[in-house]
Amino acid sequence: MITTYLFYLLSFLAIMFGSMVVLSKNPVHSVLYLVLTFFTIAGHYVLLNAQFLAAVHVIVYAGAIMVLFLFVIMLLNLNKETEPHKSIWLKASAAVASGSLLVVLVGSLKGASTIQSINAFNPNIGLIENLGTTLFRDFLLPFEVSSILLLAAMVGAVMLGKKSIK
Amino acid sequence: MKALILLSSLGVISLLAEIFSFKKLLYPLVLLGLTVAFVLNIGEWNTNVTYFKMMQFDNYAVAFTSLIIVVAFLWFLMAEGFFKDETNQTDHYSLVLFALVGAVLMVSYTNMTMLFLGIEILSIPMYILAGSKKGDIQSNEAAFKYLIMGAFATGFLLFGITLVYGSTGSFNLEEIKNAVSVPGTVPSIFYVGVLLMLVGMSFKVSAAPFHFWAPDVYQGAPTMITAFMATIVKTAAMAAFLRLFDDTFHRVEATWAHVLWIMTALTLLTGNITAVFQTTTKRMLAYSSVAHAGYMLLALLAANGYSSSSILFYTLAYSIGSIATFCIISIVANAKGDDGIHSFNGLAKTNPLLAGVMTIALLSLAGIPPTAGFFAKYFIFTSAFMAGNVGLVLIAILASLIGVYYYFRIIIAMYFKEKASEEEIQVDMNHKLLLIVVAFAIIALGLFPDAVIRLL
Repeated sequence: MITTYLFYLLSFLAIMFGSMVVLSKNPVHSVLYLVLTFFTIAGHYVLLNAQFLAAVHVIVYAGAIMVLFLFVIMLLNLNKETEPHKSIWLKASAAVASGSLLVVLVGSLKGASTIQSINAFNPNIGLIENLGTTLFRDFLLPFEVSSILLLAAMVGAVMLGKKSIK
Repeated sequence: MKALILLSSLGVISLLAEIFSFKKLLYPLVLLGLTVAFVLNIGEWNTNVTYFKMMQFDNYAVAFTSLIIVVAFLWFLMAEGFFKDETNQTDHYSLVLFALVGAVLMVSYTNMTMLFLGIEILSIPMYILAGSKKGDIQSNEAAFKYLIMGAFATGFLLFGITLVYGSTGSFNLEEIKNAVSVPGTVPSIFYVGVLLMLVGMSFKVSAAPFHFWAPDVYQGAPTMITAFMATIVKTAAMAAFLRLFDDTFHRVEATWAHVLWIMTALTLLTGNITAVFQTTTKRMLAYSSVAHAGYMLLALLAANGYSSSSILFYTLAYSIGSIATFCIISIVANAKGDDGIHSFNGLAKTNPLLAGVMTIALLSLAGIPPTAGFFAKYFIFTSAFMAGNVGLVLIAILASLIGVYYYFRIIIAMYFKEKASEEEIQVDMNHKLLLIVVAFAIIALGLFPDAVIRLL
């Protein structure tokens, strides 16, 4: 029972912080709200009995990546409000388009309860042993292939960062 | 799979070239590697091997992989100058090769995770290479726009994959197909997942209304990278799109067919009509590449036995046509310092070879016989006609008539406009050879289309 209440609390907080990321004017505040959103999602992982994922999520996303983000934003000194004014038509069309998307997404939740019968939840799925088995047996090829993705991203970052030889 | 491993190792080897100082050897090494990869890949024809339930090298995958490798080979012949930059030489090689790895993954996946990884491995080197002219503000803009918009589209794609996974319990295409085989038991979030994936894939093939990034990115990126995007990226994205929607999601066609119908019509019309008003050739070709995505969507929408063979032929015809046009545009733009249509004035008098090949390539892009482009369009229209999309075929024919108008603007400029200067543009020997080979290929494909069309 307590987990149900916790789930609703965490979901509410996640949505609230998520909206605050978009709504706050100051980019530094946005990043801090994003960190809080990541924490609430880590809470969801704990509720699903996936403690390892929760820990990794907090360390990698909330810890490493967001702190880097914060440093970059502070170095760029984006505190001034420099956002250009957008025309009323642009705003209206954006509101209509994203509103329609919202209606479709919310409407699709109708009948979502049938999903539970298709995939029964296995409470042990998030434990580190099962995670490892899935990763290194079923998803071995994607796991290896993602090394190419990371290498390509790294090479690209170095290429963009280095000074040209004169 | 062997081609995939070879391409990945070539990418890693080219990174080592800096340390072990064999940078001079890298260019022939890459060309040799691509040739070997092509041969190894052909060896997998008719074997139909599945690897780890993640990739399947059926004839479809082998045919598209071969096409990608052939086009990449031609691209390397064209883009030797792009790798002259001393500082980033090895990085450029490895990024391009890694992008090819992504392209091969995208044509052979049987699992959503591989689709996602393939798209990302192709996209991330493209974001970076679009901005590889670091001092040029337009190149920076192109990279930034491509990255932001691409990441947004990837978000849609991932959300779609999540919803499909949530409702079927699998990433495997075959299992998803079986899970949705009984209508009525499919939860509605599955359909939303399909539509979100449609949005993500449409962005990657630059179909309207998700094409807004294409003109700016194509114009700002270095011309060689634009050529890569127009040929290899488009081929891979189209093949991935087709594999997903004509096979896995075919049973839920009612969900996406109407949406795609409207998008195809929009893509054909906006691409062709906007291209008419462009003054620079690169931007015009960007809009024309949007329009070509529209023609290919026509066959995708048809979803019948002709779709894959007609798209294979179309991507081949379009890719080699684009290689020729972009090669000539970069030569002319380098000599005149401007890629506006007026730079081509009187080119037929000073450089008859360039003008001749450009004419053949443009005629092929416009779809005029006896070039490859004519049969490419013919097969696409036949496929759409068989599926009963007569209205859409009429729109496409109308759109290609508009296409003829703007392709002919360059041809008219080359043959009938007064030339600005008497100077002949110097063309490298290997560029000349490449252009002659490509021109012959365009004509040969137009005369003997059966050789390719019978493959699938």
